[in-house]
Amino acid sequence: MAYLATHDYLEDKNFVDKWLYTMRTGEMDLSWMNAKTEKIMPRPQNARRGLTYRDLDVGSYGFTEVPEKVRDNRSYAPRGAEIPEGVPDAQPWVSRKSELWAFNTESYYEEAVSRQWNATTDIPWDRLEGVEMPEATGKALSQLMTFLTEVEMIATDTPAMWLPRLNPDFIEVKAFIASQAMDEARHAEVFRKRALTTGWGLMAASPMNEMALKHLRDADSFSEMSVALHLVAEGNVLTMFRFSEYLSPTDVDKKIFRLVMQDEARHVGYGMQHFKYVLENFPEKREVLHAHLDEAENISFAGAAATEVTESFIILAGGGMKKENIEEGIKVTTQFNLKQMHEHFERLEKCGMPERKDPKRSKLYAMFLQGKADAEAHGITF
Amino acid sequence: MAVSFPSTDYFEALKAQMVAAQEHFSRLGFIDTTFAVSVANNGKSHHYVLEFEVFELKNVSEVPAIDLKKVDFSIEGDTKVWREMIENIKRNGQADTHHDINTLAHFGEQLKIKYDDPDGHDKLYRFMESIQEFFDLSSKLEVSFN
Repeated sequence: MAYLATHDYLEDKNFVDKWLYTMRTGEMDLSWMNAKTEKIMPRPQNARRGLTYRDLDVGSYGFTEVPEKVRDNRSYAPRGAEIPEGVPDAQPWVSRKSELWAFNTESYYEEAVSRQWNATTDIPWDRLEGVEMPEATGKALSQLMTFLTEVEMIATDTPAMWLPRLNPDFIEVKAFIASQAMDEARHAEVFRKRALTTGWGLMAASPMNEMALKHLRDADSFSEMSVALHLVAEGNVLTMFRFSEYLSPTDVDKKIFRLVMQDEARHVGYGMQHFKYVLENFPEKREVLHAHLDEAENISFAGAAATEVTESFIILAGGGMKKENIEEGIKVTTQFNLKQMHEHFERLEKCGMPERKDPKRSKLYAMFLQGKADAEAHGITF
Repeated sequence: MAVSFPSTDYFEALKAQMVAAQEHFSRLGFIDTTFAVSVANNGKSHHYVLEFEVFELKNVSEVPAIDLKKVDFSIEGDTKVWREMIENIKRNGQADTHHDINTLAHFGEQLKIKYDDPDGHDKLYRFMESIQEFFDLSSKLEVSFN
């Protein structure tokens, strides 16, 4: 136990006596009633939507007024509350707004809460009864699901690790990150369940995938983690979920992928808006973001090109293991890989970093151009 | 009575079905997106803008052309693709594995997704289940095709 309370309260006669005196006599301190805080009366702007964090963006309680450097509060005093002497320093690692803020953070959180789904009851698992697939397809589907379970386990831990490190004044960001941890845990759950319902059990873990994605957990800053996780890795995984939905052999799989892609797209949205926020408000951080992207693109490419996922997709896309199936599978999977890379650079360009679309700037962009040329040479259009 | 596709009547009919299924769409969650639907037929196109807010389709309008800067994304396709999708939904109660929006649009071979901003494009996926189930409400309509 790293932290011990400064008092043994059960042995503190003054503390216990004061409490008992209050409870027995009704004589109270009431100094808290004079808290020097702003008095507001927020209302829902849209009654159908309910009372949102945006409705609370008023005065000292609001997120708009939070400064770039939060110096006044390092405790769990809720933003806007009076902070008396004696609150402990919770030692947050991140107290700079530029490290974690995103445009519309509060809306992403509200959307997350309203769009939660249940992997146990919202998937029509009973419709898998009697579904049979050829062995290669079943194993490939199970391997894909095993891979995705692994990815989502890492994605659950990564935002959750940062939760206690973020200054509590950024309550909306913390709320969104908490919702993401829940989303990712649900993804790990649904993919694990689907792998096991193929009848082939789980397949193999992926050392390449884990070695690559460990970067997400070990990022040096929240911003680096967000660029790597939300913007780059989840951008790639979103395209992957859309491709998986396209390939899905059953309507149950299609439902699974439609639901997970919703959450993923929301995470990507936060990542894009954080990236834009930093570029627009702190242009001096541009080269720092480039440095984050250099490593993020490296590990995301490794994860996306891992044998376990690439070969699964080839088999699922081609519909089997015969030579003509593999040829078709390679063609379709190549188109998907190119789409992943194209959409990544498209996001960066729109966020305000068009210079990333330069093979001298980004090895991944060089890979994209080479891949596109190779594909065209083999008659694969993109 | 049959509604004609494509027409604002068709989308208004889906809107009415969505209101009738409010509890279900509320359970799916907030849907806050404005997107366009474009239906091409022999070189001419009909364009519609659908504005969703909170849990419902707030507004439907037919427009002469789509301004991608004013919508999150546009779903564009030939009338025969849309007709096949709607007829499939009617037969099966929902789109089957070959006729859902993501499948038809994935490689742009049947439906194309167009957008100005990737963030807007991603709203198709943020609200995918609601959008798919919105179109699946066609199963409750009698639809005639122009």
